[in-house]
Amino acid sequence: MKVLAIARNTFRENIRDKILYNLILFALLMILSSFVLGQLTLGYEAKVIVDLGLSCISVFGTLIAIFVGIGLVYKELERRTVYALLAKPVHRWEFILGKYMGLLLTLLVNVVVMTIGLGLVLAYHGGVPLQSFLRLLPAVYLIFLSLALTTALALVFSSFSTPALSALFTFFLWIIGHFNSELLDFARLTKSAVAVFVAQILYYLLPNISDLTTADSRNVIQGAAYFEPIRAAAVGWATGYAVLYCTILLGLTATIFSRRDFK
Amino acid sequence: MKPRSSPWIQGKWLLGAACLVAALLVKPVQDRIDALLHQASIDPDILYFSSPAAVKAAAIGYDSLVADVYWMRAIQYYGRRAEAARRQVRYKNLPALLDIVTTLDPKMVDVYRAGSIFLAEPDPVGAGQPITAIGLLDKGISQLPQEWRLWFDKGFVYFWYLQDFRKAGEVWLGACRVEGSPPWMEALAARALSQGGEIETAKDLWRHQMEGSTREDIRENARNHLASIQVDEDIWTLEFFVERYAAVYGASPARLEELVRAGFLIYVPKDPSGVPYQYDPAAGAVHLSAESKVRYFALPYNYRETFKERLARLYESSRQQKK
Repeated sequence: MKVLAIARNTFRENIRDKILYNLILFALLMILSSFVLGQLTLGYEAKVIVDLGLSCISVFGTLIAIFVGIGLVYKELERRTVYALLAKPVHRWEFILGKYMGLLLTLLVNVVVMTIGLGLVLAYHGGVPLQSFLRLLPAVYLIFLSLALTTALALVFSSFSTPALSALFTFFLWIIGHFNSELLDFARLTKSAVAVFVAQILYYLLPNISDLTTADSRNVIQGAAYFEPIRAAAVGWATGYAVLYCTILLGLTATIFSRRDFK
Repeated sequence: MKPRSSPWIQGKWLLGAACLVAALLVKPVQDRIDALLHQASIDPDILYFSSPAAVKAAAIGYDSLVADVYWMRAIQYYGRRAEAARRQVRYKNLPALLDIVTTLDPKMVDVYRAGSIFLAEPDPVGAGQPITAIGLLDKGISQLPQEWRLWFDKGFVYFWYLQDFRKAGEVWLGACRVEGSPPWMEALAARALSQGGEIETAKDLWRHQMEGSTREDIRENARNHLASIQVDEDIWTLEFFVERYAAVYGASPARLEELVRAGFLIYVPKDPSGVPYQYDPAAGAVHLSAESKVRYFALPYNYRETFKERLARLYESSRQQKK
C-alpha cells in the first residue's frame, strides 16, 4: 500500500511537471509525417509511419526515463522532502520501489497514448487492418520493457550521484547496452583467454538492452514495420531478462539508499 | 501614476530593434555562407558515412527508421536531376546509399527493384552501372529468395542493359522455380534462350515492368522506354515508305501526307504523345519533333536494319497479294 501511495504521488508529480506535454510533439510529428511521407517515400508510407511511431515511442520514452529517472531520488534529497517521508513508517526500499513504479506508470500512460495515436494515424492512412495493427503491440511491449530497464539504471545513479553525472552514466550504459554482444565478439577476435573472460563477465554484468530491441533475430521495430508477428517465447524470455535485471538494479538502489546517512 | 523610467523604455526598444535587424540579416548572411561554400567545394557530392556497417552501428537499434531516412535521401539524390547534372560524377554515391538502405533494412523489396533501375540506366538517366545493379539484386535475392520479382529484374538487367540474352534466359529459368512466379516467366526464359535479343521480347519485358511495378517512377520509366521503341519503329517505317515513294515517283514526297494519298500508308502516325513527326523532304529523314513530350531513350542495341528487312518482306508480300 505504501509503495502504491508513493507511486501514485510520483505519477502526480510527473503530471504536474508537464512531462506528458511530449505527447503534443508526438501528435504533431505523426500528423505531419502522415501527410508528408507519402510524397517522399514513394511506396513505403505505412512502413515509415510505423518506423517513426515506434521510434518516437522509444526515443521519447528513453529521454523521460533518463531525465526524470535521474531526479527521482536526488530531487527528494535536495528539497529535503525525503526526511518527512522517511520519518513515517516507510522502509527505504519501499520508497525506492514506489518512486520506480510511479515513473513506470508515467511511461506506461505515455506509451499507451502514443500507441493509440499511431493507430489513429495508420487508420487515417488506410490499408492497415486491425489484425496487422495488433501485431505492433508485442513490439510496443518490448519497447516498454527497455524503458523499464533504462529507468532502473537511472534510479541507481540517482541514489548516489548528481543529476548531470547520473544522466551521463545512464546514457553511456544505454549505449553500451546496444553493443554488448559486439564487445564479446571483439574479445573473441583477440584470442586472449583473459580478454574473453573479462568480456564475458562484462557481457553478463552490463545491461543487454539489445535483448529487448531484438526478437527472433531481428530488430523489433523493423519486424513490426512489416507487421510480422513476434514469437511468444521471444517475448517471454525478454520479459524474464528485464524482470531479473530490474530486480537486481532496484535491489542495488535500495541497498545504496539504505546506507546513506541523512543526518 | 509614476511614469516608467526612460532608460528602461529605451533599452526595450533598442533590444527590439536589435532583434528585428538580426532577424532581417539572418537570411542574407546564410545565403552568403552558402555561396562561399558552393564556390569552395569543387565536388559537393560527399557522403560522410558510406560504410553500411558504421551507419548500422550508429543507428543504435533504430535501423528501420534510419533505413527510411537513407531511402528518402537516395530518392532525392536520384530524383533531383538539375542538381545531379552539376555533379562531377552524376550518381557517384547512389550505390553506397542503396547499400546502406539494404543493409539497415534488408526486406525493402522496392529498394532493390527501383535501385537496380536507377543504377543500370545509362547516363544521364541513371548511374550506368548494370553490374552494380546485379550486385544489388543478388543481395536482395540472398535476403528474399522467395521474391520472384528480384529474379525477373536481374534477368532484365542482363537482357536490356548488358545484352547478355543467354544469362538473362538462365536467370528467368531459375525464377520459374520460385514459388508464385507467374506462368509467363517460363515463356520469357525460353524466348531469351532461343531468340536472343528479339525486340518483341524486350517490349514484353517493359510491359511486365509497367504492369508489375507498384512504383510510379518505375512505371513511368517503362512507359518512356516503350514509347521510345514506338518512336524508332514509326520513324523507320516512315523513312522506309519515303524511300519506296522516291523509287516510284523519282523524288521524295514534299509532305508525309502524300504517302497516304499514294496508298503507301492508311494514315501518318503521330508520336506516342500525339505530336506529328518532323519531316525533312530534302534528306528524306523523319525526326521526333522538338515539341514532342516523349522522353526518348536510345535503344541499347540497333535493330533498324532487321526491322527494315522485315518491313520490306511484308511490303513485298502485300504487293504480291494485290497483284
